[in-house]
Amino acid sequence: MTAYLPIFIHLLLAVLLTAALLGAHALLGGRRPTVAKDEPYESGVWPIGSARERIPIRYYLIAMLFILFDIEAVFLYPWAVAFRDLGVVGLVEMLVFLGVLFVGFVYAWQRRALEWE
Amino acid sequence: MVPLPAYLVLGALLFSLGMIGVLVRRNALIVFMSIELMLNSVNLTFVALSRHLASMDGQLAVFFTIVVAGVEVVVGLAIIVEIFRSRATVNLDDVDLLRG
Amino acid sequence: MPPASDLALLVPELWLAALGLVLLGVDLFVGEQNKRTVGWVAVGGLLLALVPTWGLAGAVHRPGTTVFFGSYAVDGFAVFFKFLAIIATTLVILASMDYFRASGDRQGSTQRFEGEFYTLLVFTGLGLVLMAASADLILVALSIEFVSLTSYVLAAYLKGNPKSNEAGLKYFLFGAAASAVMFYGFSLLYGLTGSTSLYVIAEKVATVPAPALTVSLALMLAGFGFKISMVPFHQWTPDVYEGAPTPVAAFLSVGSKAAGFAVLLRVVAVAIAPSGLDYVTLIAGLSAVSMFVGNLLALPQRNIKRMLAYSSISHAGFILIGVAAFGGAFGNTGLLIYLFAYMFFTLGAFFIAALIEARLGSDDIPDYAGLSQRAPGLAFLMALFMLSLTGIPPTAGFFAKFYIFAAAIERSPALLWLVAVGVVNSVISLYYYVNVIRTMYLLPPQDPARIQEPAVLRTALWVTGAATLLLGLYPQPLITFARAAALLLP
Repeated sequence: MTAYLPIFIHLLLAVLLTAALLGAHALLGGRRPTVAKDEPYESGVWPIGSARERIPIRYYLIAMLFILFDIEAVFLYPWAVAFRDLGVVGLVEMLVFLGVLFVGFVYAWQRRALEWE
Repeated sequence: MVPLPAYLVLGALLFSLGMIGVLVRRNALIVFMSIELMLNSVNLTFVALSRHLASMDGQLAVFFTIVVAGVEVVVGLAIIVEIFRSRATVNLDDVDLLRG
Repeated sequence: MPPASDLALLVPELWLAALGLVLLGVDLFVGEQNKRTVGWVAVGGLLLALVPTWGLAGAVHRPGTTVFFGSYAVDGFAVFFKFLAIIATTLVILASMDYFRASGDRQGSTQRFEGEFYTLLVFTGLGLVLMAASADLILVALSIEFVSLTSYVLAAYLKGNPKSNEAGLKYFLFGAAASAVMFYGFSLLYGLTGSTSLYVIAEKVATVPAPALTVSLALMLAGFGFKISMVPFHQWTPDVYEGAPTPVAAFLSVGSKAAGFAVLLRVVAVAIAPSGLDYVTLIAGLSAVSMFVGNLLALPQRNIKRMLAYSSISHAGFILIGVAAFGGAFGNTGLLIYLFAYMFFTLGAFFIAALIEARLGSDDIPDYAGLSQRAPGLAFLMALFMLSLTGIPPTAGFFAKFYIFAAAIERSPALLWLVAVGVVNSVISLYYYVNVIRTMYLLPPQDPARIQEPAVLRTALWVTGAATLLLGLYPQPLITFARAAALLLP
């Protein structure tokens, strides 16, 4: 049972921190409601309407790049778990891996793939 | 503890469903989703076998399959978007310029 | 931890990977008018990659030499395919430069992304190298997928061209489904033997029940068969070759096919053969069907790229004879010789198709009428390639077919029927290959104007032509090289 103690402490801290932040906001922050502020927030998109609306193709490009650079995390986790066993060689290998991805990122960036317009 | 054959049968069923989807459906996106289903059945089989054999190789394979599936999404959807731009359909029966 | 000396055996791969990244950088710095610079850097880098590869060829001939915990082979077999992949990539890049220049006015927006095209080709070349050397199921899957993914993009490269898009879509859906099936086969093989390393599987495969192993092999063949365009996984071939940019079609027909055979052979000969499963009958059957389907469907084709696609399917059948005959003294070398020789005359034929397409805007064989007057050099080379594809002496094609038939005869009397099928099919293929020659030499030209030959593409053409003739006349160095490379098992 004591093995789970750190998790309970972690949970407790998370709850306390959240409560503290929200409480501080309620006590200290001003309150000037407008119509726009009371709308439900859905990533900046108007949440009610036809589901068959067409979405700008630019979203797709961003999503595509996101997936590419997101999936690398799959390899970071096992590496992080075995980090001590792998040592410096593992670190260098991972840096090479990230370096390759970084070159791709710079390329996408320079080709203006990340710009909205 | 769920026995190994249960996982393998589920994997085979998912794989067959995906295969049927690839062969029967005509919408490029649905075909593509069926392929992803097949890849996930592979993952399930690998993980179940890896657990049964007490070897890590299978789990390793799953990591790579996930990455492959992700990259396929990127490349495949890019091509499908391009097709949609040029002829406003993703129905495979309408994509028929090349034949003979 | 793998020793650092392992890295010394990977210099060609590391070099190619670095080259690809450098090309991305170069692409950012050159203006849209000078994208050819990227191509020249790629060609230079690829030729330099031959140097460390040559060093490996001298150093590592011991079969079954692997690095990285047995997952990556650095034996002579792998080195042979490194040469093949690098040469094929170089020639295709050379041909692409003029192809885009010459057809640029018709296809518009390709210019901006031309640098990406060369980069993708170099990465695909790297993928081919990795495929031929993978000795672990995970690495096999990854490298095949690496080649596939870049190839999908290359096939769909002409963005505004609906045919190219369609080729990309068909190639993608077919390829993704085939590799998913292959992955499933891998997972079963892993479950049956408890390992993903081919050499470990080889030790345990004898105890595996035959029906389960057969299912696994059949599933894996879907993936390999897709790459080598073997019947019944060939349907994508004509559509993709017709729609894709012609140099890409050439690359798929030569590079992907060769690497696909390398993988197929390594998996079958190393991991499956020790089980005692009768895979030879299966391969022989697929070989015969591929030859017949490819050749009979090639007969009515009017479009040169579709004709070459069906020819590519039938050649997959011929090369499969070598897989079936693998193990004998001739078989091991026959297959490698065929793939190496096939590279030159197939690339050559596609390059001429690319040139004619860029100049005349047509892929139709009737438009080749009178080529002997409009471009005598081209017509001569095309005739040479057609004869070589048929297998008529003194071309490389004859010598390749001779070797592969000899391999089957030597291996087992049970393969004699396959040789007979091969000979019959060579005769059938004569009809449609010679039809091209007849059109070029005997029919009058519709338009007597000379056809301009761009300089770089002409260089690539003469290299392939010279190799086709030289390998036919003096094959001894290739035989020696292939013999050293062919030993596969530890």
